[in-house]
Amino acid sequence: MKFSVIVDALPHLLGAAVTTIWISLLGVLLGQVIGVLVCVARQSGNRGLDMAGGVYVSFFRGVPLLIQLLLIYYMLPLVGIDVPPLVAAISALSLASGAYVSEIYRGSLNAVPHGQSEAALALGFSSTTIWTRILLPQAFRFSVPALVNELILLLKASSLISVVGVAELTRTSQTISASNFRPLEIYLAAGVIYLAINSALALFGTLVERRLQQG
Amino acid sequence: MAVTDTPTASVQRVAAADDTAPMVTIRGVSKAYGSNEVLRDIDLTVNKSEVVCLIGPSGSGKSTLLRCINFLEVYDRGEIRIEGQLVGYSETTPRRRLSNAELRGLRRNVGMVFQQFNLWPHMTALENVAEALVQVRGLDKIAAAERARLMLARVGLADKADSYPSRLSGGQQQRVAIARVIAMEPHLMLFDEPTSALDPELVGEVLQVMRDLAAEGMTMVVVTHEMGFAANVADRVAFLDRGRIAAFGPPRQVFHESPEPRLTQFLQTYHERNSF
Amino acid sequence: MDSNLLVHYGPALLRGFGVTILCWAAGCAIGLALGFALMLLRRIDVKPLRWIIRAYIEVIRGTPFLIQLFLLYSGGPAIGLRLEATTAGILGLGVYGSAYFAEIFRAGYQAVPKGQVEAALSLGMPYGGILRRVILPGMLVSTIPALVNMMAILTKETVVLSIITVPELMYEMQTMAAETFASFETILGMALFYWLLVEAVSRLGRRLETRMTRFLSHPSNARA
Repeated sequence: MKFSVIVDALPHLLGAAVTTIWISLLGVLLGQVIGVLVCVARQSGNRGLDMAGGVYVSFFRGVPLLIQLLLIYYMLPLVGIDVPPLVAAISALSLASGAYVSEIYRGSLNAVPHGQSEAALALGFSSTTIWTRILLPQAFRFSVPALVNELILLLKASSLISVVGVAELTRTSQTISASNFRPLEIYLAAGVIYLAINSALALFGTLVERRLQQG
Repeated sequence: MAVTDTPTASVQRVAAADDTAPMVTIRGVSKAYGSNEVLRDIDLTVNKSEVVCLIGPSGSGKSTLLRCINFLEVYDRGEIRIEGQLVGYSETTPRRRLSNAELRGLRRNVGMVFQQFNLWPHMTALENVAEALVQVRGLDKIAAAERARLMLARVGLADKADSYPSRLSGGQQQRVAIARVIAMEPHLMLFDEPTSALDPELVGEVLQVMRDLAAEGMTMVVVTHEMGFAANVADRVAFLDRGRIAAFGPPRQVFHESPEPRLTQFLQTYHERNSF
Repeated sequence: MDSNLLVHYGPALLRGFGVTILCWAAGCAIGLALGFALMLLRRIDVKPLRWIIRAYIEVIRGTPFLIQLFLLYSGGPAIGLRLEATTAGILGLGVYGSAYFAEIFRAGYQAVPKGQVEAALSLGMPYGGILRRVILPGMLVSTIPALVNMMAILTKETVVLSIITVPELMYEMQTMAAETFASFETILGMALFYWLLVEAVSRLGRRLETRMTRFLSHPSNARA
């Protein structure tokens, strides 16, 4: 084990880690949007929307992420969209995340006491207002810990986008170890970086959860 | 349910109580949770074939004291001895805490009946009673099952041998729990509020089993709110208040002649709650 | 998709599926056994041991599965561990799963009502007997859904093995896709296949769960 190898590679690895982080962040944010939309669609009462949403959730939770990634990567050119691997990667991550997130929101919506929307209806609130001012904010509160958890999951999942060539942490580790023939040191370093980021996030998540419980 | 002893039973018990070999000796026992002193310098002796009831308000430490006797709770200072054997600690100086494995020998001779029954839900009544016979007494399955049936018959549940606990009433579950204990032929039985979790109409059947056990000469320490039981079956009653034994003696003395104000207050509340 | 293609590649795909099942089954077996052992070891009141196990679990759950595979397969030789791809894949799945299974077993163990263990202790039962006859049955209902869920997740993780050239189903399908230039159709087929597979595993798991809960029906200490 040569530590000097790690020291030399560190700048590249850390740079790639930054890429990993913002790709994952984007994935989570887009996933949130998709998730909320799908959740609302499923709760809307329209059976068609509910079914479509159901299929979406089932597909993106059941099919392995790697296959989803390749599917989007190969599908987009076919429908004429010529996109860089990065876009395909973020799309795959967002769609996958969205499926899980929509279920999380469905769960937390059920956790909001029913009486609240009933009271709002009785007071004459409109449906949209009930959603935006009462239900969604509370569902969001219940699910903030789940959000942080989602980010952690996406950070780990992002390692798969290396297969389509995106220069994130895993891909960069592969490239470096292919040239210096020291996979053990490089992958260990990458692992430690992933662990550090995830541990920090987990800690952050616990702190946020505690703050929310007090609030 | 009749509340009085039969003449034979009470004579039996008095006779048994003459055998004044101490079964349980508790000397200077104290226990604290952090700064909260749960037990303060408890002295108590339970003789062979005696029935001692522990009464008192919640938080007085009576359950804790009971659970210290078989070391399900750890006491910090003092000594508890059962038939002369030190409970929970080695005889060395300084003493060290014994592990669960080392406590097995002692515990097989002491039976405990819990407020929540604690039957094992995935086993039938028969299997519940037979389990320890197989594992601890080393009986083979057939002998254990036979003995278990006998025990269930003793508590009046022979016909429920193959029922699962979820199909039994609370009173029946508690009687199975008692059968599970007496199958092991314990020298001493500890009861931790055995009827507190039961609906009122089921309390009687459990108390009757306990009365029968007392009549047969079982040494019993009972934490209970059933004052009728304490008054009629106990040889001696201990009133605990805030970790101390505030009153102790035969039921008549404790219930009717004690000057202890906290006890009077406690009994007053009890009477108010239980008469209508 | 041309049916001739299926006939031609059929055997290879079947072989690949066989490897997938092998890796999944062996990985689950290792993971479950290791996870259970870890749960038991954690009960021992030795601080360094508990710390090591906790670190093991945190590291595995905090890093990507792919990195763990790369470490085993590519990094292994540097410490004298020369594994074949499939072996590395199975080991990787097993180790990865063990961390999650260990947590599931831990939660299940703690969910067994303390009173049932106390009753066994007060009767003088030995720990081995208590574990076997009281704790394990008590854990069944609560852990089976979580265990099945994790095993379904491991089904999906088998495709990651293709990246370290384990000849499982996805690897064979990608070979087929490359040779036939029918990338999209092949991948779509793969997606649908795995979708069905995971759905089937999940359904089976739910049925098993309902069966178990019915057998061990009501909570203990039902009041009259």
